[in-house]
Amino acid sequence: MNVQEYISSGIIESYVLGLASPEEQLEFESMSRQHPEVEAARIAFELSLEQQAMANAVQPPADMKQKIQAAVVGGQQEARVIPLDATHSRHTNWIKYAAAASIILLVGSIIWNISLINRNKQLQNNYEGTVAKLNDTQSRLSSFESEVNKLVGNPNVKMAAMKGLEASPSSVATVYWDSTSKDVYLTVNNLPQPPSDQQYQLWAILNGKPIDVGLIANEYFIGEKKLLLRMKNVSGAQAFAITLEHKGGSDTPKGKMYVLGNL
Amino acid sequence: MNTKLTYSEQELVALLQQRTDHSFNYLYDNYSGALLGIVAAIVNDHETARDVLQEVFVNVWRKIGSYDPTKGRLFTWMMNVARNAAIDKIRSRSYQDSQKNRELPDNADTSLSSAITGPKIDDVGLKKVLTTLKEEHRVLIDLSYFQGYTHEEISKVLDIPLGTVKTRIRSALTHLRTMIR
Repeated sequence: MNVQEYISSGIIESYVLGLASPEEQLEFESMSRQHPEVEAARIAFELSLEQQAMANAVQPPADMKQKIQAAVVGGQQEARVIPLDATHSRHTNWIKYAAAASIILLVGSIIWNISLINRNKQLQNNYEGTVAKLNDTQSRLSSFESEVNKLVGNPNVKMAAMKGLEASPSSVATVYWDSTSKDVYLTVNNLPQPPSDQQYQLWAILNGKPIDVGLIANEYFIGEKKLLLRMKNVSGAQAFAITLEHKGGSDTPKGKMYVLGNL
Repeated sequence: MNTKLTYSEQELVALLQQRTDHSFNYLYDNYSGALLGIVAAIVNDHETARDVLQEVFVNVWRKIGSYDPTKGRLFTWMMNVARNAAIDKIRSRSYQDSQKNRELPDNADTSLSSAITGPKIDDVGLKKVLTTLKEEHRVLIDLSYFQGYTHEEISKVLDIPLGTVKTRIRSALTHLRTMIR
């Protein structure tokens, strides 16, 4: 019989389940020593048996544990009727092991604690960061809300939707102008980021003449974008436009016009 | 703080040999259910099964020094301790009397032949797997594994040659193996 046949003969199951005769057991143990694959097959069957047993566990009632522990410990004391010197050496051994085990447990628990403390700190930092962000978002949202409330539902507010020109056809920006308070608000929907030595400038156009309504800070394109930019007031306008000027702006538009829209 | 530790088999054996409260707690918390499952598959009566479980723990505790890791895994060893304790119990006079009183008031025959005619199959663990075997195999596994009869005893009572008993048990076992894999 070759090893493979031996493995699949049922001897492994017989041996593990305790059904093999003493002769079969001896034979199996010697085969295991000679052939690692026999041992491997035994271990594999044992593992599947253990899984099966775990899956079919029947939980004993809760009060069993104490009862069994008492029986186990009681039995242990009975068994300790041994010569004095042997008892002594056992005791010292036992104490040594217990001491070693408790030191290992202590060290383990300290390491565990430190890692918990670190983790806790990290979570605390994450939490504080998140709260700060949330507060910031909330304050920005509420100032935006109050600004929007001034515009929406106000019949005096007029809107100019400015569309992209040749320089940047996909650009869009919107101006809200309050004809009574003369306030001007700008929303940049889409403008390319300007070079650092240049700046966008908003113009109101009245009777063909441009009037400066303010610059858009370049920081606006880097940081978190405000939804509404408060610009300079203007007394009257028929249209609005944005041009790209040198940094600091111009008295009259000299750079390329990016967007333009009528009021 | 959750300090649930898991030990390798080797560590667990060393832990058991120390016989500390912690070793007992670990052993009980991790294995009492599985061991009771094994006992309950053999001993049909729940209360008796719990008594046997106590014996199993006492035996494991006392005999851990005789466990030989080269012969098998610790769990297998504990499983066999559990099976042996359960079979000892169902063979004891007190258990047989109690079963007699309960189920067979007019029939004193609790011998092997009656075990064959009415083997009880519960829906527990390995026994559940047993139901998938064909009858001639099922009877043999029930008698040998769950009731602890030797091949010779089975051969005599069933009037089947010893060689055939062995072959059939082996073939039933290989089938069982494919079922629990």
